[in-house]
Amino acid sequence: MSSDYEFSDNEGEYYDSDEMMDDYQNDDDEEMETYEYNNNNNTNDNDYDYTNDDDFRIPTKSKSKSYQVEYTSLTQSLVEKAMKEEVDHVSGIFGVEPSTATLLLRHSGWNKERLIDKYMENPTQVLVESGCQVPEPIPSSSSSHSVDDKSGSGSRRATRSSSKLSLLSSSITSSNRSSSHKKISSTSDSSTTFTCPICYDDSPSLTALSLTCAHSACSGCWNAYAISKIRDEGEHCIRCMTEGCAIVAPDEFIHSVLRDDGKDLIRFQELVVRGFVASNPKLKFCPYPGCTNTVSCPSAAGKSVLSTLVPIVSCGARGITSSASNQNQNPSSFSTSSALSTTTTTTTSLHNKEHIFCFGCPIESDHRPVICAVARLWMKKCEDDSETANWIKSNTKECSQCQSTIEKNGGCNHMTCKKCRYEFCWVCMGPWSEHGTAWYSCNRYDEKGGVEARDAQSRSRASLERYLHYYNRWANHEQSTKLSLDLYAKTEKKMSDMQITSSLTWIEVQFMKKAVEALEKCRETLKWTYAMGYYLGRGNEKELFEDNQRDLERAVEDLAELLEGGGVEMEKEKENVGGLRQRITDKTVYVQKRNEIMLEDTAIGFQDGRWKWNVGVDGFEEPIEDFGGVV
Amino acid sequence: MDARLRRVNKEIADCKNDKTSNISLELIDNSPFHLKGSFPGPEDTPYQGGRFEVDIIIPDSYPFQPVKMKFITKVYHPNVSSASGAICLDILKDAWSPVLTLKSTLISLQSLLCSPEPNDPQDAEVAKHYTTSKGSFDETARYWTQIYAGGPGKKEAKGLRGVKDEVAIAGLEKAHVDQFEGLGFPRNKVIDVLRRLNYRGANVAQISEDRIVEELLKS
Repeated sequence: MSSDYEFSDNEGEYYDSDEMMDDYQNDDDEEMETYEYNNNNNTNDNDYDYTNDDDFRIPTKSKSKSYQVEYTSLTQSLVEKAMKEEVDHVSGIFGVEPSTATLLLRHSGWNKERLIDKYMENPTQVLVESGCQVPEPIPSSSSSHSVDDKSGSGSRRATRSSSKLSLLSSSITSSNRSSSHKKISSTSDSSTTFTCPICYDDSPSLTALSLTCAHSACSGCWNAYAISKIRDEGEHCIRCMTEGCAIVAPDEFIHSVLRDDGKDLIRFQELVVRGFVASNPKLKFCPYPGCTNTVSCPSAAGKSVLSTLVPIVSCGARGITSSASNQNQNPSSFSTSSALSTTTTTTTSLHNKEHIFCFGCPIESDHRPVICAVARLWMKKCEDDSETANWIKSNTKECSQCQSTIEKNGGCNHMTCKKCRYEFCWVCMGPWSEHGTAWYSCNRYDEKGGVEARDAQSRSRASLERYLHYYNRWANHEQSTKLSLDLYAKTEKKMSDMQITSSLTWIEVQFMKKAVEALEKCRETLKWTYAMGYYLGRGNEKELFEDNQRDLERAVEDLAELLEGGGVEMEKEKENVGGLRQRITDKTVYVQKRNEIMLEDTAIGFQDGRWKWNVGVDGFEEPIEDFGGVV
Repeated sequence: MDARLRRVNKEIADCKNDKTSNISLELIDNSPFHLKGSFPGPEDTPYQGGRFEVDIIIPDSYPFQPVKMKFITKVYHPNVSSASGAICLDILKDAWSPVLTLKSTLISLQSLLCSPEPNDPQDAEVAKHYTTSKGSFDETARYWTQIYAGGPGKKEAKGLRGVKDEVAIAGLEKAHVDQFEGLGFPRNKVIDVLRRLNYRGANVAQISEDRIVEELLKS
């Protein structure tokens, strides 16, 4: 169990608690409103906590704001439960054992409908393909085949009535059982000596294990094989070791083979769950390292909806967990450890970061307000070296004869290409011969060849400047977000100082932390608005967007200044901590309101199809204009 | 005893006892986990008469993970890198099974030489050569067998010891190389460009001389 994890979760709970709100309410009425707004989501959390037990970490968010999506966070055990339901359902319909049903479902990518269709058509084939049954090589078995087929086709006709189905399938079961039942045949060899075909060990104490295919190997080899598959390949579909044998080991077999090796067993279970989650478009595994939660977000399951909403979700957990062992934690263990919570203030914010990610794309942060497709375009643009090319284009010229790239670093305008010895004028790019003897003064600006070369050059220069405008602001906010870690540390120190120097209690100085958190969040939003601004097509809509952006930017900078510079002021205003607190709280609320407006407005814009891009984006109309801005 | 060591020792012993397959395994250094295997080139192929050596590294998780094998002897084959000897064979990757042994894997390599898989190539240039002009490919593969794997036709090679025919190694026609060398390009450059363009067999008619000169100027 990692105590880190407990801390963080606890801390979250701590801040979320109503206690804090109450405190503010007692304090003064003006602030009550502001914090109520602040705690909107958190109150939901708490409501939830009271009504439910251990199932969900985060409640189904009521879709109160248009920039939020509805989602549910599931723990691994919940996903396992869902898996088990599917398995039991299929197992009931087919009348096969749950372990067989598991393999069937896994093989069909958890597509129950297709599996049922296929199974009704030809159960034997499906069983063989899924690695549950050995293909029958003897033609004499064809009689049993036909029985299967008959019952199969018969039951297909009767798909509506499940009771009939299970009756019919019982006949299938009986024929299957003969082969699939003795899955784990362990034979402690006593009379005939068994030699493991893998390790060549023949000691009499050896335990031979085999799947339905009866290809035996010693338990030690099975153990090493399973561990190697799980650790090295991350594979949960573990086949028989014999070459060409397609029989898949059922989970119970793997469990027994792994014995008490806790870590690998947990990893195996995780791989199984991951497989299930990956095959379901409504589910996504939390991408944070060590986290085993899953988020269910049915409203963002299709590709097409991603052009109208940004499905930012959170799995509810916080921090980076070092081991996977805490997945079995239940809320009771949280509450028991709450006594430790006082020490949590020292943990850095990074370790305490909520697991926020995008359900629709691999970006592991909140890229609202911009939609996935545009965010991806921007990321790619920033990663690409295309901007290096842009630099070359704006700072160099090409020899108009051999196309060598030339950077002029001094000298006169009479250029001679080093490579092809072509002589030209750097100013007009035309051949020098046209200039006659007019050294240093290019009076032939409009001369034919020169015009074209210059046009291309200025276009690329404008594009670079435009990009850099947006990129610099984007990068600045990213940098500031990173630096906010330091700000956190500083703020924490200030908070503890305040407790000493003023009469404020711990809970009363939390406004500093709140402010820093709001700042970080808004910077994240601002950062992405620049990516959006870069691709937004010109027009009134864009101007409105940029107005909102400007307001948010201003509010953020104001608050940042107050926080960063607050230390000095605080020294002066030792008597007046209350005033500082008031100002910061006001600003915090304002910043959050601006952020809200920004997100809300863009989200509604997406729903109304108001935004137009200057590049082609999937799910949108053609770019409205091409002003040479985007390369 | 360590299961892996026991298994490898047994495999080496088995190989020694088995005289029929003509496959040998020997230690490269003192470790039993770094071996050199060798097998004769299969009959009725351009590799006939040669003996091919393979570098074998046995990983810690052997036999549950596949052995690492690559050719020491240079081989002209679509599924073997002509530069590094890396092998593209499914059983050395995802189709590996723990019941496969070093011997059976070497036999699989032997049969890979019999039946190349040019659609899943390791060496794209060689694969192109194979698919466009099989006759010329066979000749080159035979020549490689002769000079690198000690294949038949040794006498000839002995006479020219050290002076390996670069043109034949690249699978090109001497006349073609001479033609472009005559234009003033260095010989090794000509060989390089012609090989890259697959200037062989029926392909010769497809590639204009201008194109080759262009490439030669570019490189």
